[in-house]
Amino acid sequence: MSEHGHGASYLTARRGLASWLFTLDHKRIGVLYLATTLLAFAAGGVFAVLVRTELLTPGRTIMDADTYNQAFTLHGAIMVFMFIIPSIPAALGNFFLPIMLGAKDVAFPRLNLASYWIFVFGACFALVAIVVGNVDTGWTFYTPYSSRAGASNAVLWMTTAVFVMGFSSILTGVNFIATTHKLRAPGLHWRRLPLFIWGIYATAVIQVLATPVLAITVLLLFMEKLLTLGIFNPQLGGDPVLFQHFFWFYSHPAVYIMILPGMAIVSELIATFSRRKIFGYMFVAGSSVAIALLGFLVWGHHMFTSGMSEFATMVFSALTFLVAIPSGVKIFNWIATLFQGEIRLATPMLYALSFIVLFTIGGLTGLFLGTLSVDVYLHDTYFVVAHFHYVMVGGTVMGFLGGLHYWWPKMTGKLYDARMANVAWAFVFVGFNMTFMSQFLLGSRGMPRRYYDYLEQFQGLHGFSSIGSYVLGVGFLFMLAMFVWSLAKGAKAPPNPWGSAGFEWQTASPPIEHNFVTQPMFTRGPYDYHLASAAELFDGFPEDEESPVAPAGDRDGGEPEG
Amino acid sequence: MAEPRHDEEQVHAHVTSVRFYAGIFVALVVLTGLTFAVSLVHLGALNLAIAALIATAKAALVVLFFMHLRWGQKFNALIFLSALLFGGIFLAYTLNDTAHRGEGDPMHGARFDERTGEWAPGSPPGVGRPIEARPRTE
Amino acid sequence: MSTEAIAKVGEEQEGRRQAPLAHHFDTPLQQFDTAKMGMWLFLAQEVLFFGGLFVVYGIFRSWYPEAFSAGSHLLDKHMGAANTVVLLTSSLTAALAVRSAQVGKRNLTTWMILATIALALTFMVIKYFEYSHKFHVGYLPGQHFEPTEFPEGIGSVPYHTRTFFGIYFMMTGVHGVHVLVGVGVFTWLLVRNLRGHFGPEHFTPVDLTALYWHLVDIIWIFLFPLLYLID
Repeated sequence: MSEHGHGASYLTARRGLASWLFTLDHKRIGVLYLATTLLAFAAGGVFAVLVRTELLTPGRTIMDADTYNQAFTLHGAIMVFMFIIPSIPAALGNFFLPIMLGAKDVAFPRLNLASYWIFVFGACFALVAIVVGNVDTGWTFYTPYSSRAGASNAVLWMTTAVFVMGFSSILTGVNFIATTHKLRAPGLHWRRLPLFIWGIYATAVIQVLATPVLAITVLLLFMEKLLTLGIFNPQLGGDPVLFQHFFWFYSHPAVYIMILPGMAIVSELIATFSRRKIFGYMFVAGSSVAIALLGFLVWGHHMFTSGMSEFATMVFSALTFLVAIPSGVKIFNWIATLFQGEIRLATPMLYALSFIVLFTIGGLTGLFLGTLSVDVYLHDTYFVVAHFHYVMVGGTVMGFLGGLHYWWPKMTGKLYDARMANVAWAFVFVGFNMTFMSQFLLGSRGMPRRYYDYLEQFQGLHGFSSIGSYVLGVGFLFMLAMFVWSLAKGAKAPPNPWGSAGFEWQTASPPIEHNFVTQPMFTRGPYDYHLASAAELFDGFPEDEESPVAPAGDRDGGEPEG
Repeated sequence: MAEPRHDEEQVHAHVTSVRFYAGIFVALVVLTGLTFAVSLVHLGALNLAIAALIATAKAALVVLFFMHLRWGQKFNALIFLSALLFGGIFLAYTLNDTAHRGEGDPMHGARFDERTGEWAPGSPPGVGRPIEARPRTE
Repeated sequence: MSTEAIAKVGEEQEGRRQAPLAHHFDTPLQQFDTAKMGMWLFLAQEVLFFGGLFVVYGIFRSWYPEAFSAGSHLLDKHMGAANTVVLLTSSLTAALAVRSAQVGKRNLTTWMILATIALALTFMVIKYFEYSHKFHVGYLPGQHFEPTEFPEGIGSVPYHTRTFFGIYFMMTGVHGVHVLVGVGVFTWLLVRNLRGHFGPEHFTPVDLTALYWHLVDIIWIFLFPLLYLID
């Protein structure tokens, strides 16, 4: 709070475009990532609407089959690599991880900036790929279709984009792990870490260990096409299923990169809006690590019908059931937290509760897919599409939006209009379920995925799903308008509008450039409502803004005291 | 694992003697020679195992002593071992799959069977036969 | 990093700069340990990157053992062994470079870095001769495998020798790129050392680069027997 003369907020401390583009401030880097990933989300959303519009009717609706293949490929590739993997860790994680640790920045600020520009550089390759055209392999780039001699060079451009953006992900992971280990402020034991940190940390471990395998996968694909290495092409003695092993060894842990940060946010939201500490804190923290580690053992469940050995399919199926357990642990602990909590249905809480319901549906349907005998029928149908949208959109995106709403006052210093936010949520929730619940039905009735055309009997459900996607789109547009309005004309936000005991709320809204004036000392946990002082939980402005000292101590010091 | 607050101004790193480094180097070269020598003897499947074992020993020497893991922070060793572990999992599972591929199929999947010199039906003609040198006609 | 964000610890002594302490660290030791951890994390991902190539190797060697044996015999194991010794020596000089920086022997550090660079370039030169020979005689990956001659005593090779060469070029090529990157970074270190940046209080960049270099060496330690010495 600059009125107290402790320095301008991070938004105004330095001025000019260069001060943003070459910033070393983790908060500004987080904002840069937020803007870029939201742009990607919009682009991916456009392709989604194109896909759903084409599927309104069987046969041609607005585009031919080749264009349709590109539309769903680009929707998937953009959403996965340019939105969902980076968004929560690089945008919200960058902003809040150091603050929650009581640190002034991440361990390697220059590397952090480099990560961002590497990401943008990679995105440029993706743009070239889209323009050069004909990336029509599906986001999974399966060989031999993607590496065949006649394949368009656009596939090479897109895989280069993925390679480069993967580097950004790895370096962010390196930064976060080092920061969490080495830059915790005094008093912040591992058992006092906010669960958001545990989730981001577990995600970072996956980012460092799994992403290089994606890198070598796309490099091998590139060389297979360029030099005809012969490792994926059966005519040269290669094995196309080997590509799938390589691809999914990364991409399965990648889905945990996508979901763990969403779960991490939900823990924060449930705690704040039940005004209680999370039930079973160590189990929730441990489950994040368990998911990260177990997630490396199950990649074959994407390949049950690929021709993989029968023995391997059984092993992978069994392990898939195992990895579901830690996720279940989280759901039960969150629900136990809600029980007898002081529940406030603010917009972030609506998203958190949506997460719990929708992720549960998505997760349970994952078990159907993990069951070998059932998967034989469901693989490559709309059931799979519905499953992963329930966990990625119903899960991660809900978590992301909840976090965005929750931390919006902290990041921007502005409040948003709660009524508009809730209306947007309603459109998103209803539209989402319309779109994807119908796809479970489509899939279980035999509608294959990635199909341009379909039998008449599926028309009703497809049409309903497409209309649902428009409702979902309206919700997002409404939300965008709400946030823009908040930036332009939103009310000023107090330091702790939600009355949360979390550590990040003990700084100004928005925080000063170096986060804290004095080194924070932690004497309680982030959910210890019984230990936090009234001043720390105060959700308004300090009574006397002109007073040099805020009530109950210096708020800018960011010292949560027991 | 909260870092205790030192008042150290300097970084006190472990300094190894030149002689010790030289000793490790000599060991590495000797092991290289050993690998080379063993490769000249025909031991069948054992050749690969011995080569891998010696390579692992050499790598261990480099990691422990040249890279100072022996005297450094234990967590760094955990990082390195985790990478090896997950790489090993990748290798093991994938090899297991490819080794047992198509067990119901006597051709073990549509591949060229080098033991019998046969291709699975439907393979492109001419493919699979041994390759002879064809000098360029210039 | 803006100069105001860096607080210098201590003053310049005998032309050696003290370690600049970044604003978000409390002590030089914390900064050093963090940098090291960051480097090990980076090395971990390098292990998995190359690990993927070893998986490809493992699978195709298990499928086409005769082709791998034949392909291996088409390689020059003496050049491979020479390169192994070259890289091992460069690992020694890199370790010694770190050591001499640690004990403040600036000239020796310069020589050790130079030696490492020279040995790395020697490795690349030997590699160049190997590669150019293979291009000349048609030992190329996949579809392009059209051998024009074989060494004494070899009449023909199995069909899948082409796969071996695909993997050979991929593995040694990616490794070679890493060697070149190492040369670049060591050159930058050389320049910095000549400017007097490194000493007992600040040798982190030398240490971290050497760590990278040792990993490059370790990868070759495995590549040599697996590619060149197949029975």
